[in-house]
Formats: sequence, structure tokens, C-alpha cells
Amino acid sequence: MPEIIEKYYSLKELWSSLNKLNKSRKYLAGGTDLTISLSYGEEKTELWIDISDIKELSLIEDRKEFVFIGAGIKVSQLENNPIVKKWVPALAESVKYYASPSIRNTATLGGNYVNASPCADGVLALAASQASVVLNLKNRRRTLPLLSIIKGPKKIDLKKDEIAEGFLVPKIKHEAVFYKMMARKRFGISKAGLCICYRANNKKLEYVSIALSSVAPSIVKAPKTEEFLKNKKIDQNIVKKACEIIKSEISPIDDIRSQAEYRKEIISVFLQRALQKTIG
Amino acid sequence: MKSENLTLNKNGKFEINFTLNGKEISAQVKPKETLLEALRALGYKGTKKGCDTGDCGSCAVIFNGKPKVSCLMPAFAAHKAEIITIEGIGSVSKPHPIQEAFVEAGAVQCGYCIPGMIISTKALLDKNPNPSEEEIKHSLDGNLCRCTGYVKQIEAVKLAAKKLAK
Repeated sequence: MPEIIEKYYSLKELWSSLNKLNKSRKYLAGGTDLTISLSYGEEKTELWIDISDIKELSLIEDRKEFVFIGAGIKVSQLENNPIVKKWVPALAESVKYYASPSIRNTATLGGNYVNASPCADGVLALAASQASVVLNLKNRRRTLPLLSIIKGPKKIDLKKDEIAEGFLVPKIKHEAVFYKMMARKRFGISKAGLCICYRANNKKLEYVSIALSSVAPSIVKAPKTEEFLKNKKIDQNIVKKACEIIKSEISPIDDIRSQAEYRKEIISVFLQRALQKTIG
Repeated sequence: MKSENLTLNKNGKFEINFTLNGKEISAQVKPKETLLEALRALGYKGTKKGCDTGDCGSCAVIFNGKPKVSCLMPAFAAHKAEIITIEGIGSVSKPHPIQEAFVEAGAVQCGYCIPGMIISTKALLDKNPNPSEEEIKHSLDGNLCRCTGYVKQIEAVKLAAKKLAK
């Protein structure tokens, strides 16, 4: 239970104050996940460090070969941002399916990431966009492949006091399709999701990157399917084979939201629809 | 801006100051309390507690100019914020045109979800006075109604837009 709340507005202030703080501590950004565990009495941490208004975490920047998206960006800020729309179309598209408008105004992209849920919509879009994560601990930065520190549901390999500062997405010209199966048409947690980033030329996939949600302990890529599709001219046979391959490289489970068999099937249907879309 | 600190007082509560419906408010809130619970404890019961997990939208308030669900925010996060609840939008004797539109369109049955719907509508129409049906559906995404369905409420938002344009 929080006893002290420290709120910082810059990284400089945060890093210079950390040494003076000697209690067990936790970062708070949007708080949409933490508030639930707090009200259920599951949060024992005494000191909460509010980083929701740290200015360096709220940047979206075009940086030569990459786009940088700050971890503190609220999900609603992604939908109409021109840099995001141009270079990370999957992320702009994902916002439509991402919780509700009133949650999107609160929740942050970085929170979606560190919460390490297998159904995280923002992480699904970032993974398909080949993003890396930039971690920061007292201005020592590590840039790592996005999914490399996610170890399972709610398990992420961050060092003590380290924060996710933001995400780097390579500037590759492409289009994106984002599909998510929910209990309702909008506003729900995914039963299964597929995001594909691609560039097609004369029905041939010159560039293809696929990520999947809710079919494994974390968001996963579909490397075998990607490898099979790369530089292939899309026709009915290729679509059929790709659907078989993608089903063979996932092993979802039955849980409260859906069944393994259904999840496999829906991923295959999503891939089929997405591939049809790539050829117009 | 300089860093800020909140520490539990001797009653085991945080003392916070914020602006509520245009008035400066000081309140003592429990560390586990959500903003929703704190608002209702202060007597602002127009903000409804539905699911308490962000699923239904009945507890939406306008927080620093944006609609947010108050059940997914710790109460201490309201420190120095500006909040508008349904009580700050209109009253029974002096309803807001959006509230009138909801009544006239027959969009209200049990009424429990309506404060959240009004908040979402207000946030939409402040930004976009003439929304398309798709835009209306998009902004009411997170407001669940268990009585009427959604047809009347979409009509209510259209009617509210007309009333406000006059």
C-alpha cells in the first residue's frame, strides 16, 4: 500500500533523487492496471514514484533511421500523430481496438509494455513494426529487441529502478493490418490478435513482419510464416500453406477468454484476410 | 516544474487539493481509494460505480480536459488536477442541452450508465461539434448500457449536437 508518492517532471530530477529514497518502490504511469491491484489490496509497495508527467517520456520524434515513441505517451495520443501514422501505421491502427476512449486517455504505451500481458494491443503493434525498447537506469541506456525481456505473463526482466524510456521503430516504408477478436466488436480484451506489417509489389511481399497476441505466454512473432511468405507472389495456394504454417507455430491454451482450438483457427482466418488485403 | 511529494498523515490518509466542478477542494483520501470512491465519499454520487474495473464507463469524469474512467485512477492522482463530474455539467432544475437531448431522445431507461454517456458526449462535442455516426459510436465505445441498447443514445448525441449548434 502506498505511503509516500513522489512525483517527478524530468528524468534528471528522478535520477538525482533515487539515491535518497530508501523504501521499497514502484513506478506509476497511467495506473490503469496498478489501480485495480491497489484496490484489491495486492499492492504492498510503500513508495510510489509517479512518472506520468516526465517530459522526456512523452516525446514522439523522427530520428534519422528510427522513430522514437516515449513510453509515457498516452494511447490516445498515438491515433492521429502524423509521425506514428506514417512510420508506425500498425500502432495508429491498433488504437481503435484498444480498450475505450476514456481508458486510452489514461493508459500509457510503456505501461502496456511493462505489464507484459500476452494480449497487449500496443505491444502487438510494436512487435509487428520491429520495434526495440530503450531502457534507462540513471542515464545508462540499453536498447534491446522488444520481446527479449518479456519472460511470460506479467514477467519482465527489468533491473531495479530501470524504466522503459521509449521505443525505437525502424523507418521502413510499409502498410499494416491489425486484427483482434473480442467478445464484442469494440472494447474488449483479445481472444486472439494478428498484426502484419508488409510492403507488396505486384502481389509479391517484399517485406513482411507478423506478430500475434493471446496465443502464447507473451506477444510472439511468427518467424516461420514470415520466412515462407517473404518474396512470394501471393495466390490461393500460398495463402493456404501460410495458414497451415502459422497454425503449426503457435500453441495457445484454453482459458477464461477463449479455447486453444478456436484461437488457432481465428489466427489462420486473420492471416488469410490479411494476405488478401495485401494484394488489394 | 519541481517534484512533489505526498506523505500519509497521522490518520493514514493523503491530503490532496484539486478543482472539482470549478471549486477548490481539499480532501483526505485513503491510499487504496480510487478517484471514484473518493468522489462518491465527497457526496458527488452522480459518478456511478458499475464494474470498478474500467469495463463499463459509468464512472467517467472529465480529468484535466479529457474523459477518463475514475475507477482506474488512485484518488491521490487527483492532486492538483481539474475534474468535472456530471454535477458540474447540469442539474435537474438546470439541465445541460446534452442531458435534455438524452431525455428527449428516450435514451435513458434505468439511467445508471447515463452520467458516463453524458461525459463522453460532452468530451466529443467540445472537440467535434458535428460528429458523424461512426465518430459518435467511436466515442461511446467504452460506455455500456444494459437496458436500451445504443440506437437511442446515438440519436441523443446527434440531437445534442443540433441543440448546441443553435
